[in-house]
Amino acid sequence: MAAWQAVIHHPLFGVGITLAAYQLALTAYEKTRWVFLQPVLLSMLAVIGVLLACGLSYVEYKQSAQLLIVLLGPATVALAVPLYVNLRRIRQLFWPTVLTLLIGGVLATLLGVLLAWLFGAEQMILMTIAPKSVTSPIAMLVAEQIGGVAALAAVFVLITGVLGAMCGPELLRLIGVRHPAAVGMALGLTAHAVGTARALQEDEESGAFAALAMSLMGMATAVFLPLMVSLLS
Amino acid sequence: MLLRGLTWLVLFQLCGTAINVLWLPMLPGPIIGMLLLLGFLLLRGEVGEPLSVAATGLLRYLPLLLVPAAVGVMVYMRVLAADFWAIAGALTLSLLLSLAFAGWLMQKLIERQARRGGES
Repeated sequence: MAAWQAVIHHPLFGVGITLAAYQLALTAYEKTRWVFLQPVLLSMLAVIGVLLACGLSYVEYKQSAQLLIVLLGPATVALAVPLYVNLRRIRQLFWPTVLTLLIGGVLATLLGVLLAWLFGAEQMILMTIAPKSVTSPIAMLVAEQIGGVAALAAVFVLITGVLGAMCGPELLRLIGVRHPAAVGMALGLTAHAVGTARALQEDEESGAFAALAMSLMGMATAVFLPLMVSLLS
Repeated sequence: MLLRGLTWLVLFQLCGTAINVLWLPMLPGPIIGMLLLLGFLLLRGEVGEPLSVAATGLLRYLPLLLVPAAVGVMVYMRVLAADFWAIAGALTLSLLLSLAFAGWLMQKLIERQARRGGES
C-alpha cells in the first residue's frame, strides 16, 4: 500500500499517465480515423478516469504534469512559424480572404456568444465560448484573459473542430459552395486545426487555404478579442 | 539545432511576458511572444533552420501539451452540466451558420474578383 501511495503521489505521475493516455489515444485514432476520437478528448477522458480511480485532485495532477504544462508557452510562440509560412500565401486571393476573415470571423465569434446568452448561459461560459473557433493554445489564453476558463475553452474548441470536420464539407456542398479555396477558408476559419486536416483530405488547395484561415483567425482573435472586451468592460 | 531554436522560442516568450507586465496587460505573454516572433520573421524574410526544427518538433506534440489543461474540465463538471444545453446549442448552431456563411461569402468574393479580372 505504501508503494502504491508513493507511485500515485510521485512528482512524475501526472506526466506518466498523460504520456501513456496520449499514446493510446493516438493509436486508437490512427487505427479508426474517426474524427470524434480526437486524441486530446480521448486522453483527457482517460486521465480523468485514472485520477478519479486513484482519488487524486486536479490540483495535485497539475503539479505533477508541470513538465508538460510549461512547454505550452513556447509551443504557442512557435505558432508564429506556420503563421508566417501561411501568410506568404495570402497574395493569391488577398481581398476575398481578408474580407471573409473579418466578416466571417466576427460572425463566428459573436454568434456563439449571442446564442449562448439567449439560451441563458452564465457570463463565465460566454467568455469561454467567444474564442471557440481558434486553435486551442490561443483560445485557452484568450478565454482566461477575458474571464473565461482555459480548460473549458480547450474542450469547446475541440467539439467545434470535430463538428466542423464532420458536417462542414457536406453542408458546404449542400449550399453550393464548390470553390476549393472557399471550402478551405470556411473550414479553417471556423474549425481550426481539425477542420484544416479535413480540408486537406478534400483537396490540396482547400488545405492550404484552411491553414491560412486558421492562422489568420488565430492571430486576429488573439489580438482583437481581448482588446474589444477590455474596451467594452 | 533543437536547443538553439528552443532558446529563441523561450526568449521570445520571456520578452512577451515583460511587455505584458510593462505595457500590455490585456494581451497574454505567449501571444505577445508569438507576435514578436512573427514580426522578426517578417523582417528577416525566412525561417532559420534551428527555429524551424524547434517549432516543428514542439507543434507536433501540441495536442499532448494540451491534455493537462483540458483535464481541468473535471473541476467544472457542475457548471458544464448546468449550462449543458445552452452550450451544446450555441456551439452547434453558431458553427453551422458561420461555416456556411464564410464559405458562401468567400465563393461570392472569388467569383466577383474573377469577373473583374475578366473585364479589365
